[in-house]
Amino acid sequence: VTQPKTSGSPYWSPKTETLPRADLHTLQLAKLRYVTEWAAARSPHYQERFAAAGFSPDRLRSLDDLRRLPYLTRQEWMDGQAARPPYGTLPVTDHRAAIRLHTTSGTTGKEPLRALDSRKDWAWAGEMWCYGMWAMGVRPGDIVYLAFGYGSFIGFWGLHYGLEKLGALVIPGGAQPTERRIRQIADFGATVVASTPTYAMRLAQEARVQGVDLSAVRTVVLSGEPAGSIPETKRLIEDQWGANAYDTAGMTEISTIFMFECAHQPGGAHIIEDHMIEEVVDPESGAPTPYGEMGERVVTSFGRSMIPLIRYRTNDLVVKVPYDRCGCGRTFDIYEGGVLGRADDMKLVRGTNVYPRAIESIVRGHPEVDEFQVRLFRESIRDEICLRVELHDQLRTADDWPRLAEALHKELADAHEGLNFKVELAEPGALPRFELKARRLVDER
Amino acid sequence: MIMANDLLGRELTTDEAAILEVYERLKTLAARDDLAPGVAANLRHALSYAHNAVNGLALTYEHLLDHEV
Repeated sequence: VTQPKTSGSPYWSPKTETLPRADLHTLQLAKLRYVTEWAAARSPHYQERFAAAGFSPDRLRSLDDLRRLPYLTRQEWMDGQAARPPYGTLPVTDHRAAIRLHTTSGTTGKEPLRALDSRKDWAWAGEMWCYGMWAMGVRPGDIVYLAFGYGSFIGFWGLHYGLEKLGALVIPGGAQPTERRIRQIADFGATVVASTPTYAMRLAQEARVQGVDLSAVRTVVLSGEPAGSIPETKRLIEDQWGANAYDTAGMTEISTIFMFECAHQPGGAHIIEDHMIEEVVDPESGAPTPYGEMGERVVTSFGRSMIPLIRYRTNDLVVKVPYDRCGCGRTFDIYEGGVLGRADDMKLVRGTNVYPRAIESIVRGHPEVDEFQVRLFRESIRDEICLRVELHDQLRTADDWPRLAEALHKELADAHEGLNFKVELAEPGALPRFELKARRLVDER
Repeated sequence: MIMANDLLGRELTTDEAAILEVYERLKTLAARDDLAPGVAANLRHALSYAHNAVNGLALTYEHLLDHEV
């Protein structure tokens, strides 16, 4: 068998992944100028918004001038779709120039956002995944199983195409039961598995139940939920699989990932800064947030020609830290802890802020827990919060539960200003399971 | 015409100049309307991937919708 020819570089794109920061900013500015000119010349949305803001691309002198540009919000995107169905006012041309259509997952119950890609746009989407896969050590010859349903939701579609280009053998999991997927992972000797964090745990559990050996898997690629960077969840996944787990995050609005965790696992994920500008701002004031402080991600992407994306308010909460927190040699800054949650995830319960990520972090510190759900409800005039827990089969004993319930109750209260969480044991199989974007917080108020 | 410098103002290496030349040739061919459908489609697809190569080397950056790519 001929060995694949690769340079041995640890970087997919060595020249740009290791640029001195000043050069990286020069590159970003050149691309930003091009993209703003492109949008101003061709996109009805940006023509209107730039005119209203009194912005002209020829006024871009430095990256700081980016702040002169108006934000783009999801609401504006959706308003455009409603005003000019089906694709809205952002696209620079009609669908005949596109080769793909993808939508958001629709898990929030909102109207899905529709996005078009040209040939080049789609080739770029796969390219971004290659940055991440190479950084995680995926190489030609790897056998990669995508535990993904392949619908109109963009999910791992870009990963599939990126891996084909990289030269890995891609196995599309498709719409089939978990038991069959487990069997395929083992039978085909997958060395890499991609799934959401929630589903990675379910696969591992199912393999244990079936007695299937998954020891050939050395890498688990996580995406779709913030849990990929919650240390307790990640550790659990790594223990279950006996493999390294790496986080990524992407969004339909840019068609691909914007960050990836490298093999050094620095406690966060590198931003793909030669293809995007990621600002972090105060969600209320819009003021820039310094390194180390939490704020909202605002993304400008250089990838899509069909739909320019300039200063898009993502609602994602992040903490950016300098690139040198990681010793991998990349000069791309890092989102510490990945995506920390959504700005609208936070719930107020009797005056206390409750974040799903914080709860998951505590619950996943107890490997006895199989699945959980957080229920918010009202009793007379008082808000209540209840954690419902399912245990793994082999751990479900009368002796275990009181000790675990007490520990969870105490840890949750300690992390939430003494808030009294009810903790309940759920019947086996009573709680919903997820393949995409788990939604474990149910607000019935 | 092949540019002498990359987007950072650095002089192109021999390899970079060769890669950029391939890209520009693909662009020229993809713009033609007299090629067989299969030839044109495959060249446009190749151009979409060649753009990743020149973009990844910071040699050039542009959108290609006018080339149906």
